[in-house]
Amino acid sequence: MNTAVRPSARRITALFGTVALVLAAAGCGGGTGSGSAGGKVTSITALDYYTDATEHAQWGERLSACGKAAGVTVEHRSVPGASLVPQVLRQASSRTLPDLLMLDNPDLQQIARTGALTPLDRYGIDADGYAEGIRSAGTYRGKVYGLAPTVSTVALFYNKDMLAEAGVAVPKTWDELRTAAARLTRPGRYGMAVDANATFEGTWQFLPFLWSNGGDEKRLDSPQAAQALQLWVDLVRSGSMSKSVLNWTQADVHDQFVAGRTAMMVNGPWRISAMDRTENLHWGVAPLPVRRLGQQLLTPLGGEVWAVPRNSSEARQRAAARVLACLNDPANMLALAEQYHTVPSRSSVASRYAERVPSMAAFVKSVQGARARTGELGVKWPRAATGIYTAVQAALTGEQTPEEALRHAQRIATGS
Amino acid sequence: MRSGSRPAPDGAARARLRARVSRWLFLLPALAHLSLFFGYPVVKNVVMSFQEYSVTTFYTGAAPFVGLRNYTTALSADAFWRALLTTVLFTAGSLAGQFVLGLALALFFHRRFPLGGLLRSLLLLPWLLPLVVSGTTWRWMLDTDSGVVNQALRDLHLLSSGIPWLTGTSEALVSVILVNVWVGIPFNTAILYGGLQDIPAHLYEAAKLDGAGRLASFRHVTWPLLRPVAGVVLVLGVVYTVKVLDIILVVTGGGPADATQTLATRSYQLSFQQFEFGRGAATGNVLVLVSLAFALVHLRADRRARNS
Amino acid sequence: MKHGPARGSLSTLVGVLLLGVMLFPVYWMVNASLQPAGTMLTAGWFPRHPDFGGYATALRDQGRNLVTSLVVALGTVVLTLGLAVPAAYALARLRLRGATAVLFGILVTQTVPGIVVANALYGAYTDLGLLNSYGGLILADSTTGVPFAVLVLRAFMRSIPGEIIDAARVDGAGRLRVLWSVVLPLSRNALITAGLFSFLFAWSDFLFALTLNTTDSVRPVTVGVYEYLGAHTNQWNAVMATAVLASVPAAALLVAAQRHLAAGITGGALR
Repeated sequence: MNTAVRPSARRITALFGTVALVLAAAGCGGGTGSGSAGGKVTSITALDYYTDATEHAQWGERLSACGKAAGVTVEHRSVPGASLVPQVLRQASSRTLPDLLMLDNPDLQQIARTGALTPLDRYGIDADGYAEGIRSAGTYRGKVYGLAPTVSTVALFYNKDMLAEAGVAVPKTWDELRTAAARLTRPGRYGMAVDANATFEGTWQFLPFLWSNGGDEKRLDSPQAAQALQLWVDLVRSGSMSKSVLNWTQADVHDQFVAGRTAMMVNGPWRISAMDRTENLHWGVAPLPVRRLGQQLLTPLGGEVWAVPRNSSEARQRAAARVLACLNDPANMLALAEQYHTVPSRSSVASRYAERVPSMAAFVKSVQGARARTGELGVKWPRAATGIYTAVQAALTGEQTPEEALRHAQRIATGS
Repeated sequence: MRSGSRPAPDGAARARLRARVSRWLFLLPALAHLSLFFGYPVVKNVVMSFQEYSVTTFYTGAAPFVGLRNYTTALSADAFWRALLTTVLFTAGSLAGQFVLGLALALFFHRRFPLGGLLRSLLLLPWLLPLVVSGTTWRWMLDTDSGVVNQALRDLHLLSSGIPWLTGTSEALVSVILVNVWVGIPFNTAILYGGLQDIPAHLYEAAKLDGAGRLASFRHVTWPLLRPVAGVVLVLGVVYTVKVLDIILVVTGGGPADATQTLATRSYQLSFQQFEFGRGAATGNVLVLVSLAFALVHLRADRRARNS
Repeated sequence: MKHGPARGSLSTLVGVLLLGVMLFPVYWMVNASLQPAGTMLTAGWFPRHPDFGGYATALRDQGRNLVTSLVVALGTVVLTLGLAVPAAYALARLRLRGATAVLFGILVTQTVPGIVVANALYGAYTDLGLLNSYGGLILADSTTGVPFAVLVLRAFMRSIPGEIIDAARVDGAGRLRVLWSVVLPLSRNALITAGLFSFLFAWSDFLFALTLNTTDSVRPVTVGVYEYLGAHTNQWNAVMATAVLASVPAAALLVAAQRHLAAGITGGALR
């Protein structure tokens, strides 16, 4: 017995030794080499959510070009949109944030509040000449933390052939939208499509209807908000809009449109290149309808801002800031706007752009008045946004009337 | 292990101790692994649930202690109780479907026939597909207007319009249960089939000699002997099902109008969409407690069944 | 063939039909993968003009990720079995005091949601330098496999007749030796089952792969597909082709292991 125990015990210890070694080796294998050993900075890292293959490549090139001008190479990485902020939070806790960070504009204030970002004025960068909406989205407590080269918003896209065939004019008011959508509906095809998803994307698409009618995220249980929600409910009830809008993302809405399954849709100009690639699709774009003529159309401002996270190396931060400034110079603004059918965020560049690309003039105009989602509530916006999409879902499923749904939304927004 | 047969008492005691230590050494690596990879996260999550853990905490590390506030706000929301009910319905529905269909398939494949083994192993295929992809495929298939499921039902003249699989509040819950059953059948079949294989063939022969029909031999031979395995499948099923997250997120995202929001998806959304990590952690801990309570009940019942 | 060939082949027919229903979503994926690039909304029941462009794209973009998945999954199998075999042996045959508590503890681990584990691990991995490493992902992936493998192996090892082990002990073999040369060969089927299931757990893991990797250096195919979903909204065929390709090695493994699969596992796994 004794003789049997001893050698096996020794062997077990030996075995553990091996396991420990293997683990240690595995740990060492994973070291991240960013090469930031003081001195001269040769490379910086950049993180965004441009995962689309072509988009990723194009941004990679632009970042490299700007990096070259700033004397560094840029390691560019993209993660899917939904996982960007969680990723950034994890990186913030482990102090492994990238040197240059892209954020969707309504997220910027949240991240700036944590202290993880540096104000841009310390690198001599300011937001003079930028459209008001994007400047306010990039500002937290009076300091500019993020700048977007280009901005965008949503509009009404329509299938020219279908409208012509049904003899329908492009709707300008909600009533016209109701009748147009009904007349455009056929078996296997709907008149209208929106994204009413239970995400912030769904909220984003509802905002132009809410705001243009005088609704406000500070008070969601207003009659104006109920009228806007009633419009969407009517479209679904009458069968002019699929009930599946409850699950559609903006990408799904686009897929429906190019497949000819909907005659009109709410979407953004960044889809234009894909639509142009689709054969036999003759599309047009117009401002979104308002409840009655004379109301001013208010749309939410879209666009991604770039920021410089705080890290231990001042030199890296400066290098990143130089790349950021380069991305936001007029030439790059113009180039990016043309590439993605968006609008330069400096007003002067935008008007030059409108002259050069007349088809984008409508967007240039609507973006000028576009409102930042965080403009009123700041870091409290996510709660209101949650309330809005919850109300849209509850009303479209018929669980609640628009009024009930919005009262509930107001409770969510105020956190009571 | 009949130690102690050695003469010297002192040496024998030491040998016994050494033997006991060496026995535990077999268990040690696995125990260390499990306590590191489960114990640490659970402790961290519990701590987090007593703190005001916000977006800012990630950078500054400052998370003030707030006592039970996260629990009281989490539990006082209507949405919590609705999510709890949905969790119960989802779990019960999934389990019933997975178990009954899994058992039926296991019994079917238990009869030997040509290609049976091949077909049985191909049955595991749904498990191999990335859930993001199979979930997306199900979303297309269940689409009200263009989905193949409604199209098939229409072609068979079973219905004229479409079933709102993903857009009706009660239909959506049925749909996520359906998809989860589909994902879970392979596991249930595999384990139950293994249990069936363990039942000695001579028992069936004896039952046959006693004139028992198929139903009777299932009742008197198969079921009693399969019960322990069935118990394991069911308790693991509950434990795995209450925490299902990705299937629901991909297929319905918890909607429409929160109709498929379970405790797991709610905890996820509180933490990662609304960045209320404290409340998310509190909700997650309630979830762990629920499934822990269930596991305890099972163990108690199992022990009682064996003792009697 | 007890029932005679006619009934046997009838069963085969029924089996094929059942499998057809179960695997219809898989067929739908294959169908989608063979459609020309574009949206899936216009797809018919059959790929009338099969287009293999999706597969070419998938192989080009995802080939490396498939290899990564394979390495991680195989590594997980090795680690899982390495941890689970001695533990299962101890729990099954070494009359430990507190074995019941250990078993209960193992069951308790299964109640912890993956997201809780993943979140905590991120912080710990950052400090340990395990982010973006094969080792780190293998360690994390084996958390699903180890408890399951311990239960399966323990249940099986309990059923090995005690006389065989006693005989080896009398011959002077140490415990490790008994485990290695007596118990393991007898547990071959249970080992294959436990190994296969831990392979499947690791192969289908998405959460750990997504949260514990911040760069592209270790990217399994599940994350590859997820990023593809965002990257190719107009190329569903490539996304689906990747999914089909991702299931091929695993399916081959299933068929190869089918003879051993689940033969005699779980008899009273928690008793």
